[in-house]
Formats: sequence, C-alpha cells, structure tokens
Amino acid sequence: MNTIEKIWHWAAVGCFVGPFLIMLALFQYFPVYEMLRDSLYDFSLLNLAKRQFVGLENYRAIIDDPDRIQAFYVTFMFAVGVVVTVIPVSFSIALYLNGRLPMRAIVRTVVFLPVVTSVVVIATMFTFLYDPNNGLVNSALGTIGLTRLQFHTNKHQALPAVIAMMVWQQTGFATVLFLSGLQGIPKDLEDAARVDGCSPLQRIRFIVIPLLMRTTVFVVVIMTVFSLQVFAPALVLTGGGPEGTTNFVAYDIYQLAFYLQMPGLASAVSVVFMAVVLAISLIQMRVLRVKETQA
Amino acid sequence: MILRLSALALMGTLLASTAFAGERGPPTAECPQGVLTLSLLKPLNNPPQPYTVKMWEERNKCMKLDISEVPFAQLADKIAVLAASGSPPDLVQYDGPYTQSYAAAGILLPLDQYFPPGLKEDITRPTLEEHSFEGKIYSPGTQQTSLALFYNADMLAPLGINPPHELDKVWTWAQAIDAMKKCQKGEGDNVSVWGLAPSRFGAGTPGFVYRDLLFVRSHGDPKAPEDSGLYKAYWGLSRDGRTATGWINSPESIEGAQFFSSMFNVHKITPKAGIPNAFQDRKACFTIDVSYFVSGLTNNNPGFKWGVTPLPYVRSPVVHTGSLTIGVFAKSKHPAEAAKFAIDVSTGEYAEEYIRRSRGIPVLKSLAAKLDEFKQYPLNIFVEQIDRYGHPRPPSPNFAQYDKIVTDALRDIAYGSDPKTRLDQAARQAQPILRRN
Repeated sequence: MNTIEKIWHWAAVGCFVGPFLIMLALFQYFPVYEMLRDSLYDFSLLNLAKRQFVGLENYRAIIDDPDRIQAFYVTFMFAVGVVVTVIPVSFSIALYLNGRLPMRAIVRTVVFLPVVTSVVVIATMFTFLYDPNNGLVNSALGTIGLTRLQFHTNKHQALPAVIAMMVWQQTGFATVLFLSGLQGIPKDLEDAARVDGCSPLQRIRFIVIPLLMRTTVFVVVIMTVFSLQVFAPALVLTGGGPEGTTNFVAYDIYQLAFYLQMPGLASAVSVVFMAVVLAISLIQMRVLRVKETQA
Repeated sequence: MILRLSALALMGTLLASTAFAGERGPPTAECPQGVLTLSLLKPLNNPPQPYTVKMWEERNKCMKLDISEVPFAQLADKIAVLAASGSPPDLVQYDGPYTQSYAAAGILLPLDQYFPPGLKEDITRPTLEEHSFEGKIYSPGTQQTSLALFYNADMLAPLGINPPHELDKVWTWAQAIDAMKKCQKGEGDNVSVWGLAPSRFGAGTPGFVYRDLLFVRSHGDPKAPEDSGLYKAYWGLSRDGRTATGWINSPESIEGAQFFSSMFNVHKITPKAGIPNAFQDRKACFTIDVSYFVSGLTNNNPGFKWGVTPLPYVRSPVVHTGSLTIGVFAKSKHPAEAAKFAIDVSTGEYAEEYIRRSRGIPVLKSLAAKLDEFKQYPLNIFVEQIDRYGHPRPPSPNFAQYDKIVTDALRDIAYGSDPKTRLDQAARQAQPILRRN
C-alpha cells in the first residue's frame, strides 16, 4: 500500500468511524467528564454563576447522609428481588415453552408482550391495578375474603409491589433468553439420560441446568443492570415513598438535581453509582469467564 | 479542545432553535421603530388568556406577543433551563411562591420602577408579601387563591348538620371531623362515601404543602412569643426563610402532624389514595378546594345542593395564598415593554375581565371592592379569609426545595409514618439547602 492509498484508506476509515466516535465522545465521554467535574462543585441550576468549588465535600455528604445510603440499599434490594424472582419464573416458563404442550404460541406472546411495552405505561397501569379503593388486585383479594393491601402507601409493601411489577415486565425477556439456551442443548444428551433411567427432574438438575449456566449468568447480568437503572416506577407509582422505601438511586439523582437544586451532589451520587455498577458488572463478567472455562 | 468546540457548537444550535428573545420587525408607517415581538412562556390553559392578549395587542399596535406553552408540571424545570441559557423569553407566567427563589437567583427583574403610583398600595397584603424579596417587588399578581371547605348540602341536611357561612362562626377541626364521621358511609375496606375527599392538589397524593401544611400551621399561634413552639409551628419556617430546624418540627408542629395523620389512620375519614372527582361523584361529603371550584360546580351542575364553609382551624385560623403570576426575565432586552405588558394585564380592564370570567380572587383591593360577587356568599368567604388570616406558603429563597421536602414528609405521615421522626428528618434534609445562597 503506497502513501496515497494509505491516506485514502485512513480517510475512508475516518469517514465511517469518525461520526460515531464524535457522537460517542460528545454524548458519552464528555458528559461523564462534566459529571466528574460537577461533582466537585456546589451550585444551583437556577444560577450557574454562583458556583463554588467544594472538593470532595459532595462525596463526604453521600457517606454521611442516611437518605443517600438508603437509596443505594433499596436499589440493591430491588435488584436482588427482581433477579431471584425472574430467574426461576422465566426458567420454568421457558421449560414449558420448550416442551410439546398446548397453547405454547399464546403463552409465548402473553409472556413477551410486557417487554415491548413502555415502563411508564406499565407503571401507570399498575397504579390503577394497585389502587386501594378500586384497583383490580384489591378487588380480587376482597372477592376471596382477604384484606385489601396498601401497595404504594405502606412502607412494607411498596418495594415488593414494585418488584412484582418489574418481574411481570422482565420475565418475557429472560424467558426468551432461556428458551434459546434450551433449544441449543443437544437432543441426544437428554435422550441418553432418558435411556439411563433419569427422571424429568433429574434431567433438569444434571443436564439442563449445568448446560444453561452461561445463559443463566448472562440473564443475571442483564437483569441486574436493568434493575439498577430503575426509575419510572418511582416517578409514576410511588414518588419514591413511603419513607424512601422506593427511592431508587436513579430517581434520587433526578430529585437532587432538578427538585432540590443540588446538581453537584447529584453528580457525585452518579459517579459513585457508576463505579458500583461497574464493579458489579466486572465481578459478574469474571464469574461468567470462570463458568465458561469450567464448561 | 475539539470536543469542547463541538459541544459548544451543538449546544449553540440547540439553544438557537429554542431562542426566545424578543425581536423588532422592520419600520412601518404606524410603527416607525418596527413592531416589537415580546416572547412569553406560560403554562398550558392558564392566563394570560387569548382574549387578554388580543385586547392588549389591539391597544398596543406596535407590540405583539409570541407565546410558548408548557404543561404546568414542567414549568419550573423549563424556567430553570431557560434561566441558564443566554436567550430566555421576555416574560414568564410562574407560580407566585417561587418569587423569592427566582429573585434570589437573579432570574426575575424587579418591577418597582415600572409600577404606576398607587399600584403597590392597591395590592393585597399577602400578595405583596409573596411577590417581594429584599424590599423589591417582582410581580403585581394576576389573581389570588385560598382554600375553603365545600360540602354536599343534600347529604348533610338529613343529619341536621348546617356548616357556618360566616368567618366569625368558623368550625374547629374537631367539629368538622365530627360532621365528617356522621356523614361517612361505611368503614374499613367498604367505604362508599368518605367524610372528606382526598387531595386533588400536587401529585394527587396527601401532603401537598398548599393544602396540608395548614393542618400543622393551624396548631400554632402567631401571637405567641417568637421563641415559642406555637409561634414557630404557625410560620413553619423562620421568617428569613433560612431555618427549618425547630420550626417545622417544633412540638406544636409535631402535634399538628399527629392530628393530620389521625384523619387517615385513626378517624379514617379520608382515603390515602386519590379518587378523581370524589366530591362531584358523591363519593365524599366534604372537600377542600379553591374559589375556582365554585365556577366548576356552578357551570357543571353536579346534581346536588352544595355549599361552602370557611376552612376549619385548631388553634389559629390560617389559609395559604398564592397563584400563578406574571414576571419579567432579568435578561430581557426589552424590560420596559415587557414590564408594561406584565403590569397592564394584571390591572385595569384586563384584570377585571379575567376575574369576572375565572372567579379567581382579585389581588387589587380596588377591583375586589368593585365586583359585588366577591362581597357575597360563597366567594366572600375566600376574600375575607385572605384578608383576615391569609399568608403565603413559607417564603424562602429556597421555597421550591422546602416545598418538596415537606410535601414528601406530610405524605409519609398520612401513610402512617411517625410524625416526629418524619418531621425531624424533613428538618435535617431541608436545613443545609435553606442555608445555601
């Protein structure tokens, strides 16, 4: 390749990759830089001129403030709740869909439909479903003689109620992933196990689950990341309450920046949250690599 | 450097596409200096109404308005973003209690020099208090509001309950709750008619400061010594707007919050979750609402007899004031013309026409005196309440933040949180924010 060809080559590379890199830098890395810088200042969006450098004060405030700690705690509890519920539920549905049982197509559509629906729409829908006066869920409970529940006004019920909503939405996606994993398991392995006298439960325990480990870890990573990003249910359904029990970190950041006019503190929370999510992802990726090696 | 330039170029383009600054057109025979277009940001379906703008443009041939509207819920965010930009609009219709926040941030222009003689004296006390900051006034005010207790007379008559129509005979909350209990139908999970309708203000949950902080403030006393809990409970925030600790969580404030909580959790006369149109649909005997609600019930007959009684009290009667009002952006390139519009549409024929149509409470004493409707039942109740014991929501350069924190606290208290713990938490959250400049 002569010099002119090299220039043309790199010009072509620049033309194809350049716009993407500029956009990536402009909308991903530049905001991250701005966020890091803002986290060292105290200011208000109403008056950007009154900007005061406070060093690491915003980070100290996160550690000292029980409300910030609570936001991290409820977010992780939410993620744990979603993951430990979605995995067995979606795995069971995937097993059902992978068999030769009736109404599979309808069940597949019903299970996957919430995934393509906006979270805001789902949260609004659940506001009506959970309504203590006229909600469908409480009407059903009343019909069978049970006490009505105060889903978004009771501090013990709000988080489980939001977890249930998220599980309902995300199960379809996890099911599809498990289903694709199940369809990748060689048929002859199961046939051999059947010939050896394994019961259906034993086939699941000793063949399906080990071979689905990669898929399972992938689903765990995806569900964890989705759950940590939760925002709309707090905005639409609970307002972060009661007593901060659904004040998820993303919602807390929004409240701090735009309602409490503390974008510096909001940026510091964002930085810490980014670091924590990054750490979780790295740990999960490492686990994935270990499992891959074992497989 | 390239990144910065790219970012600036993009931001410039975005801002240019949303630029608001007023423009002057080419000279004409009628307007030698050209027609000046003033830009105005306002919430949807709120004043200034099209008939007001049309009337003003007809009388000011060399000026016209370019109006942008946003949903009310997005107004504060939009103002914050525009304030940070280089080209905000000339005029803004904003929520009155935010005056101090916007004035302290340098967003609004003081209008003292543009006020005609006598106007300041004509504005009612609570409005003047609400729209002023550090001795300067930032808006004349379009209208005023206060809350009163509406009741379903058809439901109360068989029970022999006749709520008073005079301020001198105003009920205590104990009397009101007794009436609400008698009127309520059902209990536990099977209530068909509630004593008191749920709040329709704010996010539709309990706690909105405009309505529910009154339960706390009414447990205070403005005539008590200034260092007493009674005095601090009445004001809810130090008079300079900088201290919440000891004010929002004084013993009497906590007592007020316990009383507020008891309505939901002990007496159970009002639901924790919203019921749209509960009063109009006969699902509640009483509701707390503003004077516009009179228009709503008059124009859309609900099919039952209704009435209005002054808002009950515990120790001290008190109502909050505050409504949307018009101001001038400090960065306006045409401050005199923008101030003329703001003052014109808030006074004279413009204000009279608007008040006649909306039944909002006039902010000008002269206008209130001129309109007989406001001297008669039921609208006289709202006017007299404002005059005798109306106060703005606790004024502060950081009112918006105080409002959010206290609203969340009162919401949780309604849901069953311990009043002392939750108000202490609210004070802890608000204090560092209120101290900021």
